[in-house]
Amino acid sequence: MVDLPKRKVGIISCSGEELAEGTVSRVATRWVLERLRQEQTVTLCLPLFLAGGKEERAFAKFFPTIAVDGCPKLCAARATAAYSAEPAARIVVSEIAARYPELKPESRRQLGPGGEELARRVAEEIAARVDQILAQPTRAKLVRLGEMGQPEPAHAGQDDAEPTAVCSCQGGGVPARAVLVAGSPVSILALEPIMQQLVAFGDGADGELRNKLLEMVKVYNPIPAEQEGLYAEALWREFLAYRQGGGSR
Amino acid sequence: MSKIIVIPCSGIGKAFGTIGREAAQIVVDEARPGVTDTVCLSALVMGDEETRSRVHGRRCITIDGCPVGCARKNVELAGGTVAKALRVVDVYKDHRDLKPRTVTELDEAGRALARILAQTITEEVDRIVEAE
Repeated sequence: MVDLPKRKVGIISCSGEELAEGTVSRVATRWVLERLRQEQTVTLCLPLFLAGGKEERAFAKFFPTIAVDGCPKLCAARATAAYSAEPAARIVVSEIAARYPELKPESRRQLGPGGEELARRVAEEIAARVDQILAQPTRAKLVRLGEMGQPEPAHAGQDDAEPTAVCSCQGGGVPARAVLVAGSPVSILALEPIMQQLVAFGDGADGELRNKLLEMVKVYNPIPAEQEGLYAEALWREFLAYRQGGGSR
Repeated sequence: MSKIIVIPCSGIGKAFGTIGREAAQIVVDEARPGVTDTVCLSALVMGDEETRSRVHGRRCITIDGCPVGCARKNVELAGGTVAKALRVVDVYKDHRDLKPRTVTELDEAGRALARILAQTITEEVDRIVEAE
């Protein structure tokens, strides 16, 4: 079976060194990654993100992210928006802490029982947002090849990353492939492994394979409802050529 | 004398990021609280004026969890002066028996590495202070 990349949510934590809320942000993020939503989330290293990590920035361009900030300066949220794409959700620890005044961290180094309970509640809010985001259809950016490499005014500092999304925890990219849709080149994420997987399915009826192809592509790519027919036709043409070439085109 | 700023990368993906953060906080909060301080690396890089003013023209000790060197690079980008750039991996190379296996809450090996690194940072702080 082909190991198809799964849609995940990236969590970007501020990790603010100065404040106990930064420690809460960091610990809550780790708990989500390790305990609450292990299979559905990855973390993106904020300092590396800011220093110009192309892989981290590319991930956030194609997959939804949650920014977790310790204080109202919102460094994680602003960095994500500035260098990659607007986060799908924002969590601010100081706002959650205001709802639970009895839960106070002992220090920025030692959270203590109150701080740990606060981190647990923050983690639960992050996990709830993860569930909400994954329940929605993909809002990944539709990349038309003519737009690639052109700076977007709203995203200052955007790099010229190839249309490849990288999952930090896996260290592998999600490949993109150009497909002509109604004569216009469109970059389709994960098409190659999807087609590989369909070929591996064997002798399914063409109609069934065609529907399955479209459904799998939609997991990773936003397809306008009114253009589904055009995409289905283009994808099927691509798949037939791929299958005829022995799965190596 | 202005305080020396100790800035860890706080990398969240691996134990070395946590160790650097823990070591920095040991120095700033316990070992040399009078002569050191820390700032939020993210705020510094995002251009927060108050944070930048605290770093500008001051000596910084950066602590990085991986070879990418995000703390050092970001402090340099923000106009800080890196007096010493330390890497957690260098401490680990000298103490390979201490292999940390947890990230969120350090295990005993991770805490031991953090204490050793904190001692190294403290010595650097003292050296800078003596040189003034």
